[in-house]
Amino acid sequence: MYANERLVLALPKGRILDEAVPLMRRAGIELEAAFEDPEERQLRFRTNHDQLDVIRVRSFDVPTFVAFGAAHLGVTGADDLMEFESPEIYAPLDLGIGRCRLVVAGPREDAGRDLGRLSHIRIATKYPEITRRYFATRGIQAECIKLNGAVELAPGMGLSRQIVDLVQTGSTLKANNLVEIEEIAAITARLIVNRTALKTRTEQVNTWIERFREAADAA
Amino acid sequence: MSDTVYKGLLPQGLRDLLPPMAEAEAALVERLMAVLAGNGYERVEPPLLEFEDNLLSGAGAAMAKETFRLMDPVSQRMIGVRADMTPQVARIAATRLAKAPRPLRLSYAGQVLRVKGGQLNPERQLGEVGAELIGSDDIAADVEVLTVAAEALDAVGMKNVSVDLTLPRLVPLVCSALGLDGERTERVRAALDHKDAAAVAAVGGEAATLLGKLLAAAGTAEKTLKRLAGLRLPKEAAAELARLATVCQEVKVRSPALAMTIDPIENRGFEYHTGISFTFFARSVRGELGRGGRYLTGNGAGEPATGFTIYTDLVIEALPNPTPVRRLFVPAGSDTALVRRLRGEGWITVAALRPGGDEAEAKRLRCSHVLAGDKIAALD
Repeated sequence: MYANERLVLALPKGRILDEAVPLMRRAGIELEAAFEDPEERQLRFRTNHDQLDVIRVRSFDVPTFVAFGAAHLGVTGADDLMEFESPEIYAPLDLGIGRCRLVVAGPREDAGRDLGRLSHIRIATKYPEITRRYFATRGIQAECIKLNGAVELAPGMGLSRQIVDLVQTGSTLKANNLVEIEEIAAITARLIVNRTALKTRTEQVNTWIERFREAADAA
Repeated sequence: MSDTVYKGLLPQGLRDLLPPMAEAEAALVERLMAVLAGNGYERVEPPLLEFEDNLLSGAGAAMAKETFRLMDPVSQRMIGVRADMTPQVARIAATRLAKAPRPLRLSYAGQVLRVKGGQLNPERQLGEVGAELIGSDDIAADVEVLTVAAEALDAVGMKNVSVDLTLPRLVPLVCSALGLDGERTERVRAALDHKDAAAVAAVGGEAATLLGKLLAAAGTAEKTLKRLAGLRLPKEAAAELARLATVCQEVKVRSPALAMTIDPIENRGFEYHTGISFTFFARSVRGELGRGGRYLTGNGAGEPATGFTIYTDLVIEALPNPTPVRRLFVPAGSDTALVRRLRGEGWITVAALRPGGDEAEAKRLRCSHVLAGDKIAALD
């Protein structure tokens, strides 16, 4: 918050952004032209609101910016939010965009396999925290290999038999000879807010939550 | 990986305070304590370590996960390093000061140690200044601790302070009145802690509707009270709410500069509190400046009490840097009686240990003035 008098909204690059921009437009936020320019190097943008700026960061960094109060609001997938797990973040609104699912997948012969019999499992994933927690609740110790992408390669390359990853249509799994074994969670994008910002700039922040709520409901 | 411990390296979350911050911190604690003393709170000083059972009883149980424990070789019992001083003060009130007249007003200042630092503030050693008002269940007591805390923060120059009020018993009362079982209550609790409206709605039924409304009610005190007034709450919960409304009114009159918000579902660290509780925030500080609320001393059957703790490390970060002090360089052989008199006038004197090179030496030692005979000359 350090003298950031303007509110800052953090947006994730990639998957969610294409759906987030029309949603923001419905919430009355117009971004400056530079935001849409793929060549643009700038990372912080003005909006049509004097009191609101937008930053564009890696999707898994959105919760970090919001937790530390560098951004007051953010749009993030429930996956990145669950992975980061911070008491400083509130997630008051399901935006209903960026729908996908977080699943455990493995080679074809694993279809329908009962993972509950295992006491230990090795998993390649972008989400080691979620994975560990999910399996711990079922009494399974998960050994996670953290990857930052191309997770679907892991089983074929002998890195791990199973993976935990997002699926939208399932075509990536299929192309890599993998099948879904279990669903961990249904994922949508959330509007998140910094705890201190909500407590100290209550009116301002609540106004934006309301606007996003109306925009999400209208969709 | 090497096992060398680098010389300046401290364990995570611990630090050395250097000049001028160490001095500024001590001065801050003194100013806060002066406000508490001025309001009739008398200072107590509990020890650093206590038997675990005492330290973690009553409202202290919330700190169980944060407490360093060790085995006392003398008594062969577990002892804990205090992670919060409130339970210690409550213990003093319940034992050694059991016969002191009520209401009992006690204050304290000291360092506490925590097993883990928070995500925002990695410090594991924290300075606390606080006050406890023990033996009164009156609304006036709730009002007093809030206004005294606000007065103390104001006295040290904190700007844009706001307090977020909550009723930790509200959600449990609503859940049990609506017949939610333990597991569903826990799920609701987790969802509410993140203000995750979608997850609250997923619980379903009448409970989800009411809890959803409580969730949406949070905001400035005035608006939230209005929103809450329209809800049908269990009788006990409604009584708590009425009390909160009165407290808000009274505090507004006495501390008009204090911004008030209400979050009826806030529960963090208030699991063992029994009535109106609160957290202090300031715009310029990330995280909590202080917190407090109503609890029972001892295990359940104790006295009603309320109080607050201010985290001095966070306050000092938010305050402007201390103004540089005037330091007077005293060359070797100066008149000692004169120098003593100057100290009496408030000068900080820095004595030369060897003769010669006075002006350069004064600058090297960060002095603002130098004494020449009986004249004081300012250095630029």
